[in-house]
Amino acid sequence: MYEEPYRWVEAVGNRRQYLDDQFKQGSPVVGVTYESGILLMTMSKGTPKVYEIYDRLALGGMGHPADLEKLRFSLLEMAHVEGFNRSPSDVTGSRLIKYGVAPVIKQAFEEVFKAPFIVKILLAELGQKSGRDSLLTINYDGTFEEKGSYAVLGASSAVEQEMVAYLRLQSMVSLEQAIDTAVCAWAVGNRAQYRALEEAGEHREGNTDPDQPSTDSDALYAHLQECLAEKVIECAVLDRCQQGPSKYRAIGTDELRRLLPKVMSTSST
Amino acid sequence: MGLQGDFYQVLKEQGYAFGIGGQAKVEQDLITATTILAFKYRDGVLVAGDRRATAGNMVMYDRTDKVLEIDRHSVMAIAGVPATAYEMARILEHSFKYYRRTQLQELSFEGKLRALSTLLKQNVPAALAGTGAVAPIFAGYDTEQETAKIYFYDILGAEFEGVEYAVSGSGSPTIRGILHYLNTWGEQPLSTMPEEQAAIQALRLLTSAAEFDSATGGVNRDANLYPVIKFIAVGGVRTMADPQLRSLFESDVSRSV
Repeated sequence: MYEEPYRWVEAVGNRRQYLDDQFKQGSPVVGVTYESGILLMTMSKGTPKVYEIYDRLALGGMGHPADLEKLRFSLLEMAHVEGFNRSPSDVTGSRLIKYGVAPVIKQAFEEVFKAPFIVKILLAELGQKSGRDSLLTINYDGTFEEKGSYAVLGASSAVEQEMVAYLRLQSMVSLEQAIDTAVCAWAVGNRAQYRALEEAGEHREGNTDPDQPSTDSDALYAHLQECLAEKVIECAVLDRCQQGPSKYRAIGTDELRRLLPKVMSTSST
Repeated sequence: MGLQGDFYQVLKEQGYAFGIGGQAKVEQDLITATTILAFKYRDGVLVAGDRRATAGNMVMYDRTDKVLEIDRHSVMAIAGVPATAYEMARILEHSFKYYRRTQLQELSFEGKLRALSTLLKQNVPAALAGTGAVAPIFAGYDTEQETAKIYFYDILGAEFEGVEYAVSGSGSPTIRGILHYLNTWGEQPLSTMPEEQAAIQALRLLTSAAEFDSATGGVNRDANLYPVIKFIAVGGVRTMADPQLRSLFESDVSRSV
């Protein structure tokens, strides 16, 4: 029944709608660069969403955990085989994305008889010098974008735009600043998603001021506190100053408590 | 299967073949022209090696690094055919990284030992043919058991634990006796020595090996050439810097000053 071109276009359109629905309640992912590296941040329930891929590559994802695992494994395999056969410096984020996973995701998306990947990916790549860092995002349909100093994943492009608009105004030099900015940007995104859900009539309880999209930090912290009741903050950095070839480091609870803004750290235990 | 985090298997699936093929036909002398040693000191384990690479009577290279860092907590010191040994080190390094990143946990120390043993076993034909014999020492800090460990291998892949120390290479017979003497009747057992004193002993041992073994490179002060000494403790692997080696050598090893 999909043989006719018109049907196919319609089927792909339906797919887009289905996938957009799947992400509505997902947790946004924020990637920001700071002085000595890149920070990836999200909030998760149970399954982690931030991973190490290679010496200078880290992954943040949104979507179905099984799909994310599948893509994570193919990224890991490609990166390690390439790093072994050639050299670790030949393992670059843009090659992995452009020739590795993006075509696979696109194909799965367009083959309407098969299941698509319910996943959005953010791949952070630490450059040799600051200013050479890059953040790559892939959408569920295989479109990818490369960004310089920050990138986000959110339920819809409207949500992402709101987060980016917030990030544009911030300056991030130290890790503390980066974490502060990232959690706030996450809150901006998460709040926007709640709002979108409400507008669609699927009311969720326990949200404050959905109509007022203020980026006042107190309001954002309050929103975060609420979310902390059922989720945990997950942070990892690619740290240029770290000894050895592997630059990835997950930020543990104690370190996070020290780095979070004072208002937050009291109750994030 | 990729899902089990076995990088070597992934490589094989991609058509990779390890080792130099060879048939055991002529009985060859096993050449391990080098000296490597490892012993436990107060905070962990010290691994050291000379830096000479030879081919028969010829000195090929005097700046070889035979003490290879595999990951943050383990080191492999190599004696034998360098081509094969470096390849093994590369496979191990990637295997441990791959395991950690896919399985989201560190490979256990036993798992690491097993990985090296498997590679050596794969390499038996080349080892017997004389084109790829490797007899390494694998030392590391077992973060689970919070203790330092030393293992040494024969060329067929059998693994032996060196409770206090291990040596390998052509210069090893010389220093094995010294190590035994030092550890048994010395002023203090090796395992209680602080870092600096352990480094002095390692320098003295390698200098002795070079005295009696032409294939072991000693210290060449004119060329500012010192052995490689690495310490593995809770915090990870650390290499002793050349200036420090020089000052220790001049104050406690050299007798001409």
